[in-house]
Amino acid sequence: MKDINDPQKVQIKILKITYLFSLFPIISSLIAGEYDILFGFIFGLVIATLLLRLKYNNIIRALSMEEESAEKFIRNRYFIEYALYFAVLFSAARNANLDFLAAAVGLFMIKFVVILWSVVDLLKDTFQSKFDEYK
Amino acid sequence: MVEFSPEVIDTVIRAAALLGAGFAMIAGIGPGIGQGYAAGKAVESVARDPEARGNIITTMLLGQAVAESTGIYSLVIAIVLIFTI
Amino acid sequence: MIDFSPEVADTVITTASYIAAGAALIAGVGPGIGMGFAAGKATSAVRRQPQARGSIITTMLLGQVISGSTGIYSLVIAIFLIFGV
Repeated sequence: MKDINDPQKVQIKILKITYLFSLFPIISSLIAGEYDILFGFIFGLVIATLLLRLKYNNIIRALSMEEESAEKFIRNRYFIEYALYFAVLFSAARNANLDFLAAAVGLFMIKFVVILWSVVDLLKDTFQSKFDEYK
Repeated sequence: MVEFSPEVIDTVIRAAALLGAGFAMIAGIGPGIGQGYAAGKAVESVARDPEARGNIITTMLLGQAVAESTGIYSLVIAIVLIFTI
Repeated sequence: MIDFSPEVADTVITTASYIAAGAALIAGVGPGIGMGFAAGKATSAVRRQPQARGSIITTMLLGQVISGSTGIYSLVIAIFLIFGV
């Protein structure tokens, strides 16, 4: 976590790792010829990326407000986001070309990567401190 | 004495299982509030001590991942109720 | 012996799953409250320490990314209940 001062760099890094991890399900579904899983996964992933950008823009706007109005603003924006997620999952469930579960997994990819990142960071920290003790 | 046919019993049990799955997901409120609270406190402590931000973010994310587990329990219970009963 | 016609059984199950889907959607309230709390803390933190703005934004973004997921679990269950995927 070197670039923690720069939210843009952190976002780009997270998205890069997410796409790297996504290559595995994309390539395997391509080889298996399961095109509805492929399209559903890519649909979910694209929507998740766009909603991450939306969240960032909302946070930037909220920081220039007073405390109470920022609270209200982010709460209302979250409900809009919730409605968007509902629309996405609804269309994935209705559309025969999109697999519903694959779309849901695509939406969760960024969260998996963030949690994985923090676990890797913790392990790195622990080993570093053990190593320093040993030295 | 009132007796139910097996189909009636099956219908009622299936309906009750679906209702139970829906109500199980209300548990999602708890982790949501808790994780947001953790994020708020983490932001406060980053402002107080900007040097320790790496540790604070890692701790916040791990705490949130653990708090998430209740939400995942209710999700698992809901899926079991929907697909097996 | 009480018996249901197939239409009655279908109606009972559909009604139960719609009520349950509505109940599952209540879980979306939690992340909203938590995220709002985090946003309020972040604004006061930026007011207090303007030079730590970048790390505050990162902390809040990562925190919000994780806290949103319980809401999506409940949405997934609600859509399972509505469509029987």
